[in-house]
Amino acid sequence: MLEIKNLYAKVEGEDIQILKGVNLTVNAGEIHAIMGPNGSGKSTLSKVVAGHPEYEVTEGEILFNGEDITEMDADERAHLGLFLAFQYPVEVPGITNKTLLREAYNTIAKANDREELDPLEFEDYLQTKLEIIDMKDEFLSRSINTGFSGGEKKKNEIFQMAVLNPVLSFLDETDSGLDIDALKVVSDGVNKIANDKNAIVMITHYQRLLNYIKPDFVHVMMAGKIIKSGGIELAEELEANGYDEMQKELALNGAQ
Amino acid sequence: MSEVLQEETMLSYIGGEIEPKGTSISIRAINERGRVALQETAFPTRRDEDWRFIDLKSITKNTFISVEEAGANNVSDISEHYLPEALNTRLVFVNGVYNEELSSISDLPNGVIVGNMASYSDHDSVKTHLGTITNYDDDVFAPFNDAAFSDGTFIHVPEETVVEAPIHILNVFTDADKAYYATPRLLYVGEMFSKSTIIEEHIGLADNEYLNIPVTEFKMFTGSNVHHARIQRDSKQASHVSRPIAILDKNAEYHSYTICLGAKLFRNDPRVIQNAEEVDFTVDGLVLIDGEQIADTHSIMDHRFPHGKSHQLHKVVVNDSAHSIFNGKIFVAKDAQKIDSFQENRNLLISENGKINTKPQLEIFADDVLCSHGATIGQLQDEEVFYLQSRGLTEQKSRELLVYAFALESVESMAVESVEKLLLAEVIKYTNRDDK
Repeated sequence: MLEIKNLYAKVEGEDIQILKGVNLTVNAGEIHAIMGPNGSGKSTLSKVVAGHPEYEVTEGEILFNGEDITEMDADERAHLGLFLAFQYPVEVPGITNKTLLREAYNTIAKANDREELDPLEFEDYLQTKLEIIDMKDEFLSRSINTGFSGGEKKKNEIFQMAVLNPVLSFLDETDSGLDIDALKVVSDGVNKIANDKNAIVMITHYQRLLNYIKPDFVHVMMAGKIIKSGGIELAEELEANGYDEMQKELALNGAQ
Repeated sequence: MSEVLQEETMLSYIGGEIEPKGTSISIRAINERGRVALQETAFPTRRDEDWRFIDLKSITKNTFISVEEAGANNVSDISEHYLPEALNTRLVFVNGVYNEELSSISDLPNGVIVGNMASYSDHDSVKTHLGTITNYDDDVFAPFNDAAFSDGTFIHVPEETVVEAPIHILNVFTDADKAYYATPRLLYVGEMFSKSTIIEEHIGLADNEYLNIPVTEFKMFTGSNVHHARIQRDSKQASHVSRPIAILDKNAEYHSYTICLGAKLFRNDPRVIQNAEEVDFTVDGLVLIDGEQIADTHSIMDHRFPHGKSHQLHKVVVNDSAHSIFNGKIFVAKDAQKIDSFQENRNLLISENGKINTKPQLEIFADDVLCSHGATIGQLQDEEVFYLQSRGLTEQKSRELLVYAFALESVESMAVESVEKLLLAEVIKYTNRDDK
């Protein structure tokens, strides 16, 4: 589904490389976790895959279902089924959740020759998605993320994910800032959305999210590269020893 | 007063002289007063503090003549501009001249007057209040209206009377061979505990050049209440200089909302004077400009007595090479304690070459007041655009939606559904231009 090959990226107009040769393959039905310390480039990776114009890919490519999407605009990627749950969801006063979601849903439907939904049909459709994330109806009529608590914002991201039904979702630190109850609700929602046709990549700093959403693969990212991949045991190792220990160990191995 | 040369006065831009046209003693007296003031007052220049940022050349580079001389077209059908809520509470002025045929007044409570001023010039309220509320120092525009008007709108709402239907004052401007001036005039007298909604519209029917100088006066007696929406959709070649002023007695409420969409030059100097305790007023504005448009608001919220509440939200979107200017003055007199006044000017610049000047100006002489102000100039945040784009919306659609959202708040305070709809359509037209 997703193949990232030797990806290098930097902030547009600056010289500092942030991604330095990332390789990652994600198949349908899989859940991946990318872990790493602050500044390792894991959030940047999710933004580059989503098509954030702030970043420039200087080398390598991103293939999505075989198609090169490296130079595509963010909306075109969304039409193909890519989704990014933001680390810091943006407040947009004056536009309701419902307005955005209907516009987004129908734009994506149209791009894929699927039937668009009229306001009434869409209302019914939204109702079926509300329960996934335990959201109240009134949420729909509120301005996007405006005045939302940190937890509500993250819930809203997962709700949008449920409504837009993407093929591949990057969840950028969706767990950060959540208390234990909110974390359960959000994880529960993600687990309900996950199936054998879609795939999820979680970006996280902490192992605790992985107690609720079980990844098939865990990757450790440092200094702009994935330096180690494995199963859930890798996260446990990190939790026990920390990133420093792993870095030392790898440096030692590299020196041999 | 020092001597002012003829070529420095406004008269030099309008062909030299204005014949007083009032047919009654009350209007004629104001015509004369205006004529004298015009001779004694120099036309403003960039050296005057209140005119520093505005380029008045669309007025000074022209000679405007009266509508009669300019050979202005007549109108036949303007029914598309009628408001369904005000089908029988509508006055129509064509190029500033009252048009009885297109007006329709039949749906008013007992005693309420909505009519053309010339027909009511002997009414006590006209004789007492007309021309007494406007108060602009060293001004040429209000005196110009004084000198040139002969008719206008007169609204009188008696004590304890509520006019449910909005009153629609529709000023339309037609094409003409030559550039003309027009001087719409409005006098509103709200007696004790009266209430009404006024929709004052200015619509350019063609793309011609004209100079629109309206003066509106609101005399608000104790406990009276007015919602005053002003929608400026003049021709994009027109110049419009407004003088709307209200004076408030005890417990009066005056809420005004000015929407600026048209005109190549728009200068608006709204003033509200608190003339007794415990008033409540609003001086909101929404400006959506592009091309080479200039929109300049110089407002005064003048608190002269204690316990007043006032609010101003002035929102601006600037595209292309347009230029917005805002100077919001809040005055609080020495004994006007317990004033609660709030001013906010929010600007959104969506082009490289647009220009914005903003200047909040608070002059507070009382020591127990709650006054706050804020001014922001921002662009659409890349992060906001990306957020919407990542959900599948095109970049263009994302930008449109964000500008629309910015303007929405102001549109929602119109209080008349068809006006809100009309303005939403205008906002969409503004944000969704084909040429981008």
